[in-house]
Amino acid sequence: MTQPENPEIKATGTTTPKKGAKIPRQPMPEQAPEDRRHNFEEVPFGYTPELALLESSRCLDCKKPGCVEGCPVHVDIPGFIRLIREGKFLEAAQHIKKQNALPAVCGRVCPQEEQCESKCILGVKGESVAIGRLERFAADFERASGQVQLPEIPAKTGKRIAVVGAGPAGLTVAGDLIKLGHEVSVFEALHEPGGVLMYGIPEFRLPKEIVRAEVDYLKRLGVEFVMDFVIGRNATIPELFNNGYHAIFIGTGAGLPSFMGIPGENLVGVYSANEYLTRSNLMKAYLFPKYDTPPIKRNKVAVVGGGNVAMDSARTALRLGGDVTIVYRRAREQMPARAEEIHHAEQEGVKMMLLNNPVRIFGDEHHRVVGMECIRMELGEPDASGRRRPVPIPGSEFRLDVDTVIIAIGNQPNPLIPQSMPDLKTTKHGTLIVDQETMMTSVPGIFAGGDIVSGAATVISAMGQARTAASAIHRYLTG
Amino acid sequence: MNVVIDGKTIEAQAGETILECALRNGISIPHLCTHPALPPFGACRICIVEVEGMRGYPTSCSTPITDGMVIHTQTEPLRLLRRNILGLMMLEHPSACLICDRREVCDRYRPKSEKVGATTGCHTCNNKEVCEVRELSADLGLAEIMVAPQYHYRPIERSEPFIDRDLNLCILCGRCVRICKLHQGKSVIDFVHRSSQTHIGQAFGRNLHEAGCTFCGSCVDVCPTGTLSDRYAKWFGRPKTKTGTTCIYCDEGCALAIYASNGKSIMATGLYDNLPVCVLGHFAIPEFLNSPNRLRTPQIRVNKVLRPVTHDETVSRCAELLQNYSGKAFALVCDTSSTLEDRYVFKKFTQEVMKSPYYFEIEPDKKGFAKVIHVPDEVKAIITTGPFIPIELRNQFEVVIALDMFYNDWSKSADVVYPVGVFAEVSGTIMDKDNNLRPLVQACSPPGEAKPEWEVIQSIGKALSPDNWKAYDRVETITAELGLENISLNLNRKTPPPVSQKLKERREWFRGYRIEDYVSGLAVVRNFEEGKEPETEKEKDKSEIIESPKPFMVLSRRELVPNTYEFVIYVPAIAKKALPGQFVIVMVDKNSERIPYTLSDWDEEKGTITLIIQEKGLSSRKMISTLQGEQLAHVVGPLGTAFEIKKYGTVVILGGCYGTGAVLRLIRALKEQGNKVIMISEARSHYLAYYQKELSAVSDRFIQTTIDASSGEKGHAVDALKRLLDTGEKVDLVVAVGCPFMMMITAEETRSLGTKVLCALNPIMLDGTGMCGACRISVDGQTKFACVDGPFFDAHLVDWEEVRDRREAYSAEEIQAVSLTQPAETIHREPHHNYCSCMERG
Repeated sequence: MTQPENPEIKATGTTTPKKGAKIPRQPMPEQAPEDRRHNFEEVPFGYTPELALLESSRCLDCKKPGCVEGCPVHVDIPGFIRLIREGKFLEAAQHIKKQNALPAVCGRVCPQEEQCESKCILGVKGESVAIGRLERFAADFERASGQVQLPEIPAKTGKRIAVVGAGPAGLTVAGDLIKLGHEVSVFEALHEPGGVLMYGIPEFRLPKEIVRAEVDYLKRLGVEFVMDFVIGRNATIPELFNNGYHAIFIGTGAGLPSFMGIPGENLVGVYSANEYLTRSNLMKAYLFPKYDTPPIKRNKVAVVGGGNVAMDSARTALRLGGDVTIVYRRAREQMPARAEEIHHAEQEGVKMMLLNNPVRIFGDEHHRVVGMECIRMELGEPDASGRRRPVPIPGSEFRLDVDTVIIAIGNQPNPLIPQSMPDLKTTKHGTLIVDQETMMTSVPGIFAGGDIVSGAATVISAMGQARTAASAIHRYLTG
Repeated sequence: MNVVIDGKTIEAQAGETILECALRNGISIPHLCTHPALPPFGACRICIVEVEGMRGYPTSCSTPITDGMVIHTQTEPLRLLRRNILGLMMLEHPSACLICDRREVCDRYRPKSEKVGATTGCHTCNNKEVCEVRELSADLGLAEIMVAPQYHYRPIERSEPFIDRDLNLCILCGRCVRICKLHQGKSVIDFVHRSSQTHIGQAFGRNLHEAGCTFCGSCVDVCPTGTLSDRYAKWFGRPKTKTGTTCIYCDEGCALAIYASNGKSIMATGLYDNLPVCVLGHFAIPEFLNSPNRLRTPQIRVNKVLRPVTHDETVSRCAELLQNYSGKAFALVCDTSSTLEDRYVFKKFTQEVMKSPYYFEIEPDKKGFAKVIHVPDEVKAIITTGPFIPIELRNQFEVVIALDMFYNDWSKSADVVYPVGVFAEVSGTIMDKDNNLRPLVQACSPPGEAKPEWEVIQSIGKALSPDNWKAYDRVETITAELGLENISLNLNRKTPPPVSQKLKERREWFRGYRIEDYVSGLAVVRNFEEGKEPETEKEKDKSEIIESPKPFMVLSRRELVPNTYEFVIYVPAIAKKALPGQFVIVMVDKNSERIPYTLSDWDEEKGTITLIIQEKGLSSRKMISTLQGEQLAHVVGPLGTAFEIKKYGTVVILGGCYGTGAVLRLIRALKEQGNKVIMISEARSHYLAYYQKELSAVSDRFIQTTIDASSGEKGHAVDALKRLLDTGEKVDLVVAVGCPFMMMITAEETRSLGTKVLCALNPIMLDGTGMCGACRISVDGQTKFACVDGPFFDAHLVDWEEVRDRREAYSAEEIQAVSLTQPAETIHREPHHNYCSCMERG
């Protein structure tokens, strides 16, 4: 993390945009792969103030900034970069926070290359401005300075909103609505707020201290967090209305792990990525026995899947001392994971077995995994997702010698709330049906956003929906 | 001198007892209180025999043999008498398991990692796999307990280092008292109190240390039951191998027996039982050698960081580093914990390969402390086998190669780290303080890729000087070259080692490491010596709590029956919504696991829930150590699908262990719907039955079963169910709630009876809300999540073998976390208070 040794640092200031464009995109210093594969510390160290000044000077400050269009929450990107260039780091962070409640998180986990940075004009002929790294720098700088400023909050409106689920969507809604003068309570089933930021994304990609700091900020703004409280069990949604809440936001995410339905999936040593990551991240199993939850330390690990969760699982398994192979049924080009994540995983020593699909898992007499049969695949015609459909090559089965299998082939929406409230209309996939303009569900006053609406997607898209929902809730309550 | 035993004429030796003579001649006479290390005592009377011409039944262990004796050891009256004697003894021992018909199924189905609470049956006993009482009862055909046994409710004693003591298992054979007198020449422990209150203890209620115990461990060695147990070794069951070797913690040269399983040392005792060993020899070896901090892989420094590499890479890196430092630029430093063979190779390597005069062999001081203050300034490259040189001198050296067992300042900053095997992990020869040569015999494997020290140096020597270095293939070749062959272990001592009598004179260091940093019990001994008392919390005043309960506060905690606790916890959010059959997840403190517990009862008005908790492992131990007035970190619920309450007709509910308490509300709800409810509660013995009044009050009929028939009907709950069905009672539904073993046998034995049986499963869980799938089970070939689809499933469709094995998934880790020589009470835990946002609500 960047230490603000000298918050008074003066800007280099005079660099003109034209000159700046010739400066190359600044890389972030990071831990060497051979070091980081043995620890759970964050991989990149982040920009120093000097690097941030240099990188910020590359921004052309476009009149019609494409980057803002590319951002699901429409952060004023040229605006905050300008503040960084002027050395006003704290102001830059506060500027981002007008649109984005969780900049330190987004600076780390957003797929900027598909969003803001993909629209950067510099990217057309060269490399785009490192917007994500600058965002991260500003947020880290503010947090480390201890000078996190609270925005002024308008007079209380007297409206109360219940937010179900303290994940990225819920935290965003809470942040937006509290700043508009409403009262917000966030209900969370787990014992720590943060949702997937806490249980899913590993420490080395998103230090939990950052999530805690972001939650703390919301607490200081006045958001109430009710932990260990399961909506659908401790209270139903109608009961929330009866208890004086005027609107409800559902952001319960996609927390139901998918399995493949192949023989041997219930053997000891087969884990859903959710379980594997929750043990390590939320329960801190990698610090066992200081923490009581045992880790899954095994020798030969296969991770099934090609998304970001598969990469997170693989890199966690590597850090727990395993020899890790990713088994993915399509080719590299079809992998849904961010290129940077795949690159990091390979750099650290994760092996890739592409165009291979598990067929069955073998166990010993104690129901412990001893191997996995796979079949080779080839790409056929495009399927509904537009990606070429993987087709098994008959007779190409072979046995992989593994003692642990992590299934990271996706999650489905958590069914608890739809089950406890039949009025809520769902798709056949179990996601909630909402009005895309307002994110309101089929029940007036109940809004939803994030993976419970879109299926398993990214943190920032959840936050984007949450912002839409927050403004719709505001209109619904005051309009 | 000739005698006749069971019709065989045998030559007897003068001075021996009947038992000794018989055993010497391969005739077995059952015996219990006698022990080869101890003089005859004659207390238990199991070894009685008939001698023609003698009145009554003399005890063979204390009757000297005389010429012409005609002895019968196996007559029918003797068998009956012995069985009855054992039966009487078993009245004060948790004996139900000994006479249980389902013992074998139980042994196969029970997890091995449940040994933390008070023992109420064989499956949680410290002694399970090496139990003389169990063997004896099988030999004698013990099949019933004639009178209701008595349980003394003595608190289990586990606040001493190294030794757990559960006096509720004691059969007063007196072996421990006698061995203590024999080995220590004094009675640290003795029989205290009189008559039925007699038990083993220290005078005036002092702790072992105050009573002068030196933790020689001899009492543990001779105990035939699980009363006294080695806190570390008890987790590993019957050892696979026993190897005699020499202790090298100091230079007394005591012969030790090292017991190992799968190459890992699990227990140590003296090799001979006529003399004790000291605390280090008995209790400090397995925990030290098995330390999770041991170095396991060779590492070399690349880009400032140590990276694990292969043996070959490590050796060639050593050669590369050392090649420019021959002569006085090189030194090798070791201490006398390396074998003579190791040191011979070290010296040879230093002189012949490195051509250096600087071979330093440090003689440790009285405390085992070995330190070099100065190494000649011209030395620039060094091989060291431990942290012997002050780290301040690190900058003197350009190359450091550490042959070591743990990380320390030297190995952390070394250019090469090679993990080595030490002590019981290697073979060789050492010399004791009287210049006697003693053998080291490898008894367990070095961790990971660690190797004996001579092998590492030999490889480096060969890499540096391929032509001139003589390679040794095995350690015996070096031993022979040194002329040290045929050193016998059988140099038995005449006097006990000094430390076994004077604890304070023990060594504190080994190979540059403070032993107590790796053997947690020793740190506790030192605290005792320094007069530091372990902190104990006092039960808080109840009136104060009732005035202002906070969320997750324990309002009451009581031990209903041995090892089973009832907790009343203030959680209004759960009390308001709970339904029969649901469960909660508890985190005791911020570092805890999330553990599911079934809701036994709740009170919406008071905002309380009731849980029945048995101490079984690490987390439940933390739970039952939570006192009244303390707050748990997290309680979430109600979770799971509630039991479908409707009119079934006649419902029989079987409850075992925690399940007996967990079904109270279920019965009430079923009754309200007009069902006839028959409750069958099982327990091993009468003193383990609880809630009888409460359950009789709510059910139409209440049947208690006990394995030993000491209360109600004999057998398990399923036996009473089968008898009930035999009487023609029409049963519409059976619900079994208890441990997986109880539910499994219920399922198996009712499979053909045509009655639907539901069971309540609570496997290992994480979130408890369907998010992770840790609790997957197979029901009729379909995967179900016990946390959301359950807890109730058709018991006949559950894959019970899978249930068992999934429960065992983390046994090894559980054992790692609990197998320490320090008392559980002294293990530092994060406090529960002022942490989570939920507390802020309170």
